[in-house]
Amino acid sequence: MQIKNRLTPFFENITFDREDNEMILNFGPQHPSAHGQLRLMLHLQQEMIVKAHPDIGYLHRGMEKMAENMIYNEFMPTTDRMDYIASSSNNYGFALAVEKLIGLEVPRRAKVIRMMLLEINRLMSHIFWLATTALDIGAMTVFLFAFREREYLMDIIEGYCGARLTHAAIRIGGVPLDIQDSFIAQLKSFLDKLPANIKDYEDLLDTNRIWLMRMEEVGAISKEMALSWGCTGPMLRASGVAWDIRKEEPYELYDEVEFKVPYSDKGDNFARYKVFMQEMRESAKILYQTIDMYKECVKNNQTELMAHAPKYVSAPKIDIMTQNYSLMQHFVLVTQGMRPPVGEVYVATESPKGELGFYINSQGGPYPYRLKVRAPSFWHAGVLTDLLPGHYIPDVVSIIGTTNIVFGEVDR
Amino acid sequence: MAQHKINYTQNGGLPVALTSIDKIVNWGRSNSIWALTYGLACCGIEMMASGASRYDFDRFGTIFRASPRQADVMIVAGTLTKKHAEFIKRLYDQMAEPKWVISMGSCANTGGMFNTYATVQGVDRIIPVDLYLPGCAPRPETLQYGVMLLQKKIRANKASRAQTDKRLM
Amino acid sequence: MRAYKPKDNVQAKAYYTDRFYVSPQVPKSHVESDEVFARDLEAIKAKFDVLDAYIQVGQMVVFINPSDNYKVLELLRDELEYTQLSEMSAIDWLADRGGFEIFYQMLSMNKRKRLRIKMFINKGEAVNSVEKLFRSADWSEREMFDMFGIEANGHPFMKRILMPYDWQGHPLLKTYPLQGDEFAAWYEVDKIYGKEARDIIGPELRDSAKVDRYDSERFARLGHEVPKGTKITGNEPKVVQNYQEEGGVFMVKKFDKKDSVVIDDPQR
Repeated sequence: MQIKNRLTPFFENITFDREDNEMILNFGPQHPSAHGQLRLMLHLQQEMIVKAHPDIGYLHRGMEKMAENMIYNEFMPTTDRMDYIASSSNNYGFALAVEKLIGLEVPRRAKVIRMMLLEINRLMSHIFWLATTALDIGAMTVFLFAFREREYLMDIIEGYCGARLTHAAIRIGGVPLDIQDSFIAQLKSFLDKLPANIKDYEDLLDTNRIWLMRMEEVGAISKEMALSWGCTGPMLRASGVAWDIRKEEPYELYDEVEFKVPYSDKGDNFARYKVFMQEMRESAKILYQTIDMYKECVKNNQTELMAHAPKYVSAPKIDIMTQNYSLMQHFVLVTQGMRPPVGEVYVATESPKGELGFYINSQGGPYPYRLKVRAPSFWHAGVLTDLLPGHYIPDVVSIIGTTNIVFGEVDR
Repeated sequence: MAQHKINYTQNGGLPVALTSIDKIVNWGRSNSIWALTYGLACCGIEMMASGASRYDFDRFGTIFRASPRQADVMIVAGTLTKKHAEFIKRLYDQMAEPKWVISMGSCANTGGMFNTYATVQGVDRIIPVDLYLPGCAPRPETLQYGVMLLQKKIRANKASRAQTDKRLM
Repeated sequence: MRAYKPKDNVQAKAYYTDRFYVSPQVPKSHVESDEVFARDLEAIKAKFDVLDAYIQVGQMVVFINPSDNYKVLELLRDELEYTQLSEMSAIDWLADRGGFEIFYQMLSMNKRKRLRIKMFINKGEAVNSVEKLFRSADWSEREMFDMFGIEANGHPFMKRILMPYDWQGHPLLKTYPLQGDEFAAWYEVDKIYGKEARDIIGPELRDSAKVDRYDSERFARLGHEVPKGTKITGNEPKVVQNYQEEGGVFMVKKFDKKDSVVIDDPQR
């Protein structure tokens, strides 16, 4: 028995028998291939889309407002829930912004661990992207294969921070923990198998007729359009701009590692798929190099994991437990929060989805006066407005798939 | 004329088992719980993971369906916002009886860490919930355990009678 | 005496600040210290009024008049190679200065430089839309309207984007409380069930620390569960929750720990 409610039929205000033979199709907000809660209003001429109107905000949880009411360290777990496929990259973007604001330098060992986490997250995100996109297009096998590999990566991350999805693995000023003993062995055995796994996926997809029909020359984004819409990351690189923030404005130790920036000038779905696959290989390359860097840190006896800045960062646990002043400082930092200097900062990092930027305006208080998150997916969802017209209905699914949007990030 | 005698009521006779209607109906219901994919946020990813290779939800007879008409249980996985609230009610109303709801994760249970203007403070303000899973996000094991508890709950009900109304208000 | 709470800013406040605490400043440097920025600033200054300009954390910040924003961004895009508008939004300064500060975050990929254009508008004023220059401003300006109520002149579709169309209030204003106002608290109940259902469904529980062990409607003690609505006496017997009934289940094999295999290495 249904409970009475006041919800009226949804299309009461849309006329179906229009004179121009146009049909309006509602897609979402709860659609299995919408990658979350995207709602699209599509105007159709026969099967052809003539106008698309994406409607977002179904996952808006008010994170920017929360940031204004939280001390800086308190906000860190909230950033996990933005791009929940690759949580650590959000943690890192926020931590880096605050570090730039207060002018902290992070110890080398922490930098290496951060880079490992970031690249593992990039791999996780790309594998997840492959799994879901392939599932949307109908390749169930790839979904199962890709999730198998993703679980291995999650095991490694879980061993480090205890969580599978929402890591909160990075702190302002460093990382809380050293990596566990089995970390490097597990990571290496994973990386050794990764090329064969990627080859498996590509063997399944690259020459698959259905995959090619739905990917090639579908959803082509021109260079001008990508720049104008603020596309970043793989979306921009697939459209012919080889812009990678890790390469151009290096943060952490990305200027010490060697990797290539894959790009394509086609701009269609297939180009994006190829860019994603190539980026996985590059990530694996970076991870091999970070393992060596970590071993060097161990050899040089660089054990510090958190920056030494008593005004902003708590002392190590051993000091807190043994020294009075460290305990007092820790107490103040936890109860009142750190007070960064007055000023503003915008820091961009290369998250798996694109440019993840944090704009922080601090007025010297323990709470940010304004915090704006520049989430890449927001504009990648916006580009659908101009991208979808001219395509057919089945293309919508593959285009949404390859834009790689995550709604925690779009709506924040 | 039969040359041999068959003891129908014993094992090894014909594939025949005697049981009550209640049990056989509930056996069918509880072992084919088709879930509506209701991935809203982070928990939706863990829901996908439990459907994927390592955790393999198909063993429980739980197959994710995209249509509310074919679904028995709605797994609300993630934050329900005020903008989305009306749609969850619409989809719940479209599901056929008997139907159950699992609220997965802190956000769906109580609003969780998002104590803000835009978040519904628990889906049970909108639709009746049978099972609450704690965690942020709950692991796939939690979801599996939750489904097993739901199976137990289904078995405990009488199948012959129409379901008692679950009333929110 | 009740503590004084300012009405114009209801966000969280530091509960204690040292009387003599002077907060330090993020260092600002002159624009002349960076060649590229100095040349860009010259180009802007040649055509428009620049109220202030400095470099902070490696990025140039330029303050302009709000009426010039379209022209300045056009100049930046067409002549100075700032081809991408990364971000734009507003900051609420209503309580202190009676208006909003609006910033445009620009990126030049050729020069590898980032620059921030800022301007100040008074309350109730609208800005010129830059949607014609950068399509990305289409959604950012809608978001700004949604969150602050600042309208953009010349925008093709000035509607809310994140909040529902029938929402009241602009959430990121400092006067808007984090947990929402009366309208927000009852939004979903009013919309789905109507105002008369408010009494039945009841108000939201916003205190995240609240646990009432005598309330069996909302809480359950782990291992001592009772049916919903039972009166709690405190002597509830221990209940062991099993996922299967004692006698086994019809046509379902019972799990036996001895028959199972534990895998040590998941990546075998």
